[in-house]
Amino acid sequence: MDTGRREALLRAMLDELVAKGYRGLSVEAAIRAARVSLAEFEADFGSKDECLYAAYQSLADRFVARASARCDAAEPWPERVRTGLSALLEELAGEPRLALALTRAFPGIGPATYERYVDLLERFVPLMEEGRAYSEVEEELPGEVELLAVGAAEAIIFSEVDAGRAGRLPTMLPEILFSVLVPFMGPERAADEMRSAAAAT
Amino acid sequence: MAECSAEKGFIATAVEDVLARANVPRESFESHFNSTEDCASAAFNKLASEMLATLSIAQESAAAKGNPTVPIKAVLEMLAARPAFSHLGLIGFRQGGTRRMYEAYDSAARVLALMMERALQESGDPGPSYAHARAALGGAEALLRRELAAGRAATLPSLLPDFVYAALVPFVGQREALRQAIEAAGGAAEEDDGHRAT
Repeated sequence: MDTGRREALLRAMLDELVAKGYRGLSVEAAIRAARVSLAEFEADFGSKDECLYAAYQSLADRFVARASARCDAAEPWPERVRTGLSALLEELAGEPRLALALTRAFPGIGPATYERYVDLLERFVPLMEEGRAYSEVEEELPGEVELLAVGAAEAIIFSEVDAGRAGRLPTMLPEILFSVLVPFMGPERAADEMRSAAAAT
Repeated sequence: MAECSAEKGFIATAVEDVLARANVPRESFESHFNSTEDCASAAFNKLASEMLATLSIAQESAAAKGNPTVPIKAVLEMLAARPAFSHLGLIGFRQGGTRRMYEAYDSAARVLALMMERALQESGDPGPSYAHARAALGGAEALLRRELAAGRAATLPSLLPDFVYAALVPFVGQREALRQAIEAAGGAAEEDDGHRAT
C-alpha cells in the first residue's frame, strides 16, 4: 500500500471510530473510503485493532511534531512553550474530529488504548524540563512538576474538544499558557507571559 | 463493576462479567440496575459522595489546624484505598464511557474546583479564581490518572508533596507552595516512622 492510501486508511479508521464508536466501527467502510482492498488491509495490518493502533500512533506523532517543529531553540524557554502550544492548538482547532479521536474516542476503548494516551502526554514532559531553570526558588521543584504542567493544559484542551469547541482553542492560548508556566515560574511571571501572549494574538 | 471496568474498560464490560465477579444472580442485578451504565453510575455516585464527605470533614480539620494540605492528603488516602472505584471514576467516567457518564464526571470536577476556590477565598488569598482552580486540578488529575492506569493507586499518598504543590502554586506562588509541599512530605515521613515504631 502506498503512503498516500495508507494515510487515507488511517484517517478513515479514526473518522469511523469518532462517528460510530469502537463497537460500531466498520473496517469495510474505512477501506472503501480510503480506496484500499481488503487484501491490502490484511497484508498491512491484519486486524482492526492493529490498524487503529497504527492510526493513533501516526496521529500522536503528528501532533507532537507540530508542537515541537516551530520552536526555535534559540528563543527563551517560555517563548518556545508559547510557540509550540500555539501550533498545537491551531492543529487541534483545524481538525476537530481528529482531536476527538486523539483525546477521547481512542483512549476510551479500554486500558491498553488509555495507556497510549498516557504515553502521549508523557512525550510532552521532556519539553517541559527546561522550565525548572526558570524557578524563583532555590529548592528543587517536585518530581512530577512537568506532568502537572502538561496535565493542566490537557484538562482545558480536553474539555473544549469534548464540548465541540476545538475551534476556539487558539483564542485560549493565553490562559492555557498560564496553566503550563505557573508551576515553573509562579503566578506573577506566568501572568506576565499570559498578558504578552494575549497582546500578540 | 468497578473492578471489571478497571481491568477490561467500561465498553468491554458486560453484565455477565459483573455477575461473575460479584457472584450474584442476574435477577439480583436487574432488580437494582437497568444496565452496566446504571450500575457504573451507582459506583460513581458512591465514590463522589465519599469524596465530598472526606473533603468536608478534612476541610474542617484543615481550618482548625491551619493546614490547607489536610484535605488533599485525605482524598489521596481515600482514592488509594479504593483503586477500582477510583479508576472507574477518574478514567472510565471521563474518557471510557457514555456522554452521560462524562457529564457526571465533569459536574463533579466543577464542584471540586468551586470548593477549592471557596476554600482559598476563605483562607484570605487575594486572587483565587475558578479558572486557576480548574487548572490546578487538571495537573493533579493527570498525575492521579497516570498512577491509577498503571495500577499504582497505593502510591498516591507518597505523591502528596506533588499534589500539594499543584493545588497551591497558582494561588500562593512557588515559595509558599513549595514550603507547604516540603512540610507535607515531612509530615508523611513522620507518620511512616510512627507507624513503624508502633
